Amino acid sequence: MTGHSLIRDAGRLWGEATRSPFLDAVAAGTLAANAFQRWLAQDYLFAKDLMAFQALLLAKTPRDCHAPLIGGLAALDKELGWFESHGARHQVDLDVASHPTCRRYTDFLIRCAYTQPYQVLLAMLFGVEAAYLTAWSALPPSGPYAEFIERWSSSDFAAYVSALGGLAERHPHEAAREHFNEVLAHEREFWKMSWEG
Amino acid sequence: MTCCGGRAFTCLLQPLVRALGDGTLPADLFRAYIAQDAFFLRAFTQVYALALVHSSDLEAIALYSELIGGVQEELNLHRVYTAGLAIDLGSVVPNPACRAYTDFLLRTAWHNSLGETLAAITPCMRLYAFLGEELVPNCGPHHPYRKWMETYSAEEFRRLGGRLEALLDRVCVDTVEVRDAYRYALRCELDFFSAVVGS
Repeated sequence: MTGHSLIRDAGRLWGEATRSPFLDAVAAGTLAANAFQRWLAQDYLFAKDLMAFQALLLAKTPRDCHAPLIGGLAALDKELGWFESHGARHQVDLDVASHPTCRRYTDFLIRCAYTQPYQVLLAMLFGVEAAYLTAWSALPPSGPYAEFIERWSSSDFAAYVSALGGLAERHPHEAAREHFNEVLAHEREFWKMSWEG
Repeated sequence: MTCCGGRAFTCLLQPLVRALGDGTLPADLFRAYIAQDAFFLRAFTQVYALALVHSSDLEAIALYSELIGGVQEELNLHRVYTAGLAIDLGSVVPNPACRAYTDFLLRTAWHNSLGETLAAITPCMRLYAFLGEELVPNCGPHHPYRKWMETYSAEEFRRLGGRLEALLDRVCVDTVEVRDAYRYALRCELDFFSAVVGS
């Protein structure tokens, strides 16, 4: 996957979007409870808007894109349920205000969902998911957060990301790279916010 | 819904606004500000247009159409300034604060309720009318930015802002989301001013 032209062309931005002190602390099992709770609540808010983004994208795409995108929507629905049950189990309040960093990211996604062509949106979704897969797959599946690491390193998730990469390649657009890179910049800021508050 | 008093004063105390007011703002910062504002105004026009499309109230439609005309006048004023400042308004790269603000406005106008859109656009008009009122009386005749500030102290500008606020009060249901949109828009204004000075 890292051979994908969008990732290759992103240069150092790719590393910045997929590595963070937050993830290092997850791997070491030393993450502070408040940082974990902040990340969980903000990631839940992000995923809710990502659902809207994916649904709007689906409505714009030609037939060959439907199966992976519908699969992605169904998986995201399950993921939101998983967040909700996890929040309830660990007494993490998910009904919080969106952090400005999270808000900037989701405003960008939703604005683009309405104003950009589907090819650009495919590249953006590939950026969101490929960065997430790469970030979590680099961690050893053990310790207090093994459940999270396994979830976003799974072969099912990797197959979905690979399918998105294929779609982005088959449906190129001159504005795809710029928007893919902008997604990566938002990913970097999201990790930073999760770690620093 | 005019809960912006405190934040409006905070904007007035921003270094950028203070320096605009006393005429000491360096020309390069004014140029940066005008360029970012031109990018912002283009998005703002689209937001008014989206609000118009989503309205069925004829009075509201007429108001949005006047507001779009008002932004065109503002952009014309920007062109007068930018012609002498060597700025190409068509190729402005927004700074992160400007981008965040326009993404928020466009997202709201496309995706959220009409009430949230109205709440998101009202603070900008209110704030600029307030800044015009506060700053212009202290401007001497040779103030370098007097013409720019007079736009916002003009009776017509204040009147449009007042009608927009009246529309907000008339058609908006007071919800958490509507209040949040209003407050976040004001925060974006503050960040917009700060970002130009920090650039």
